[in-house]
Amino acid sequence: MLESLLEFAIQGIVLGGLYALFAVGLSLIFGVLDVINVAHGEFFALGGYLAFAGIVLLHWPAAAGVLGAAVGTFLLGLAVHPLLLGPLRRRLGRRPAGPLYLVLTLGLSTFLQSSLLLAAGGDYLRVPPHVRGILDLGVTAVAYQRLLVLGTAVVALAGLFAFLAFHRQGLAIRAVAQNPEAAQAMGIPLGRAFTLTVALGVGLAGLGGALMAPLFNVYPAVGFPLTIKAFAIVILGGMGNLAGALLASFVVSLVEAFSVMAIPSEWQNMIAFLVMILVLLLRPQGLLGRAVVR
Amino acid sequence: MLIVEDVRAGYGRLEILQGVSLRVPAGALIGIIGPNGAGKSTLLKTVVGYLRVTAGRVAFEERTLAGLRPDQAMRRGLGYVAQDGGLFADMTVHDNLVLGGYALPSRRAVRAAVEAALERFPLLRDRRRQVAGSLSGGEQRLLALARALVTRPRLLLVDEPSAALAPGMIDRVYEDLVALHRSGLALLVVEQNVEAILAVADRVFVLDLGRNAFDGTAAELRDSDRVRRLYLGEAAA
Repeated sequence: MLESLLEFAIQGIVLGGLYALFAVGLSLIFGVLDVINVAHGEFFALGGYLAFAGIVLLHWPAAAGVLGAAVGTFLLGLAVHPLLLGPLRRRLGRRPAGPLYLVLTLGLSTFLQSSLLLAAGGDYLRVPPHVRGILDLGVTAVAYQRLLVLGTAVVALAGLFAFLAFHRQGLAIRAVAQNPEAAQAMGIPLGRAFTLTVALGVGLAGLGGALMAPLFNVYPAVGFPLTIKAFAIVILGGMGNLAGALLASFVVSLVEAFSVMAIPSEWQNMIAFLVMILVLLLRPQGLLGRAVVR
Repeated sequence: MLIVEDVRAGYGRLEILQGVSLRVPAGALIGIIGPNGAGKSTLLKTVVGYLRVTAGRVAFEERTLAGLRPDQAMRRGLGYVAQDGGLFADMTVHDNLVLGGYALPSRRAVRAAVEAALERFPLLRDRRRQVAGSLSGGEQRLLALARALVTRPRLLLVDEPSAALAPGMIDRVYEDLVALHRSGLALLVVEQNVEAILAVADRVFVLDLGRNAFDGTAAELRDSDRVRRLYLGEAAA
């Protein structure tokens, strides 16, 4: 029994690290731009493909493959605001454009999935583990690959939070999230803050995709179910609230992990949405409220 | 220093400014007064670049500001304090001040500018770890002013500095505005509190329905029966 509890807890915590990488980025983009990025899962998939290209095709060391995938996704993310979101924002001026952004990022999602299908085919690709071996904890054991995912997620998210708290550009992103007009009066170009925000958000998704590539198969739609689940996590944490998204990631992953003790595993994916519905009914602002990136 | 000539601007199809002109010489303190809806705040927002100039000319230090975004106008040497202060309420006083120095060239320059602002407003030094939204209304106004100074402006545009402040705090804010003026900074101040601005301004422009209604010194303004009747709420002599 203790063995099972510990195993589920470890599974839940590792999965929580992945959810957090994904959901914090999604929440960051929403908090700063008011854009729900439906294409977030495709950047996760892209991270997996780039890791496959680096590690399997180019025979890079695993660390270089993962880093390259994260950087590659970040660089592609730099193009999203200037080419897609920015022009729409400029054309629509002050009019509310939430639904239009949703449709736009849905289009980007389809475009990226089709592009990946065209470039790499629909086959499931396999990436070897970045680290091999198993850590024996006595009552249970955990693969080093899973610990790597968790450790990297912790470091990356700590880096993001430190960047937002202390770096000039991070402070600027928070300023834009809180009061865009006042941020401009400080000399902060909104376009630059939006561009960097989207790139950071999707870069985290790409890092998650690269880290998880040995655990999931890589295929064009691999990130889509995660996107849907991340919506539930972001709502649970409070739309645009990064600390809330972080907390909700681990709440959902641990509830999912332990739920298999009580309900059939095929129902496991419903858990996040059941929790989300309950939260929306009882506390619509989410666990920590809509505090945005502040 | 600042030239506004026959400027028309507004919100979409709603034209608020219908040919406004004014000048701010270097180092001057210029006031703008007028009834609600006259276009006073709209004028400041147009100069800064939040609103597009549809006709006329806005030039600062002989270079046009037309087509510039607010962040670009700020880098040209303008500073702007919005009516609500525009503070980042969930960030600390210190972070608000640091953001004021966003456009400065180095961290050292930001540190020096923040230190200078804290020297000028010692009250903020005691509050620098406090979240800006938790300050009193008067303290928030001082922080907004201090933060605008960190941007190192040569012309500071201030929208209703006395709005919603207790009389004692209004005096304090105006003491600071006068001190800034004496230090050589040019100021363009929109104000509903007519007596407060008349007491300190070198020249006052009166706007009405998006047009110039009068301009002159405080004494000239007080001598004008029409202006006193319409804008100072006094019976004509």
